[in-house]
Amino acid sequence: MKNLHVFPAKAAKIIVFGFLLIQFFTLEINSQTKDAKKSLPVKAETAAALPKVTQVDASGLKNILKTNGKPLLVNFWATWCDPCREEFPDLVKIDADYGETLDFITVSLDDVEELNSGVPKFLAEMKAEMPAYLLSTQEEDTVISSVSKDWQGGLPFTILYDAEGKTAYSRMGKVKIDVLRAEINKLLPAAVK
Amino acid sequence: MKRINILIVAIVAVFAFASAGKAQSNFAVGATLEDFTLSDTNGKSRSFNQLKGKNGTVLVFLSAQCPVVKMYNERISKIAADYAAKGINFIGINSNVTESLEWVKSNAEENYKFPVLIDKGNVWADKLGATVTPEVYFFNEKNALLYHGAIDNDRSGKNISDNFLRAAFDAKLEGKTISKTKSNAFGCTIKRVNG
Repeated sequence: MKNLHVFPAKAAKIIVFGFLLIQFFTLEINSQTKDAKKSLPVKAETAAALPKVTQVDASGLKNILKTNGKPLLVNFWATWCDPCREEFPDLVKIDADYGETLDFITVSLDDVEELNSGVPKFLAEMKAEMPAYLLSTQEEDTVISSVSKDWQGGLPFTILYDAEGKTAYSRMGKVKIDVLRAEINKLLPAAVK
Repeated sequence: MKRINILIVAIVAVFAFASAGKAQSNFAVGATLEDFTLSDTNGKSRSFNQLKGKNGTVLVFLSAQCPVVKMYNERISKIAADYAAKGINFIGINSNVTESLEWVKSNAEENYKFPVLIDKGNVWADKLGATVTPEVYFFNEKNALLYHGAIDNDRSGKNISDNFLRAAFDAKLEGKTISKTKSNAFGCTIKRVNG
């Protein structure tokens, strides 16, 4: 009699547990399906918004480093370089703050395979609007020397040219943002600082 | 006490990340390296003169996390193995304040057959003017610097047209003049304790 009494209680527990289990998995599957449906347009939207990154070689780099009547700021970076990623938000802010008074370009030294993936994805995350390039060359050593005698090959490297194309400031490693702003300001008429 | 420790770690981290990486050094090709002693990844004191090769020695600045070093690791091991038999020894050196001993040790055990020394306070990176990883210094048997810079001209390893370091080794071993004694090493900035 005792056993008969216990059995239905156990059975009821098992049934309730089973029911809850089914509910849990149903909810989980539904939520995943919803997520999957939601994620599709988002991904498409992100892909459409990726900024253009132009591949340049050593001679192409020479051309983009020419000034055009304004100071030119150039940041050499790579997605794998932690200090580069860390300083990027500050550089984006500089670009926004100085607007048309300063030309600012970024040159990625990532592998060319990142031209349409890692590099534009990072730039999109940063909301970077500066013209973006990816340097692909077999003559890294020569290129480094041609950019600046002060660049020994480490990243990031930031260089500021005055309107005539002369180097006004350069730094290997993370920039000190106040110092960079001060250097840019020196090149601008008082009215636009 | 805990707060002080956290503060110290934070200060060190700030300095490390703010590092300019530009080392002031007059150590150029032709200069002679004084003997020095550092601990290896097992905590054992090792001197340069104990580790050097009979025909020359390479001091290679490494990092456990740098992607460029990772791309070079296989090539570094191959060159080290190829020239160990010819009397040229490799010594690794890690000067990055951001990399723990455990990390450097496991990375060294995984990738290199030569010892890796720990350059606390980036003393030797400063003395030699090393700025990036990987960056090599090739010395002759009298510890005079023969070549400084990159291992080759292509970090990816796919399109190497100049094997700078191998060329320097071969010229040295053949008693010829090394045609390129200096190149720019491309890689990750050494994370120093101060800028």
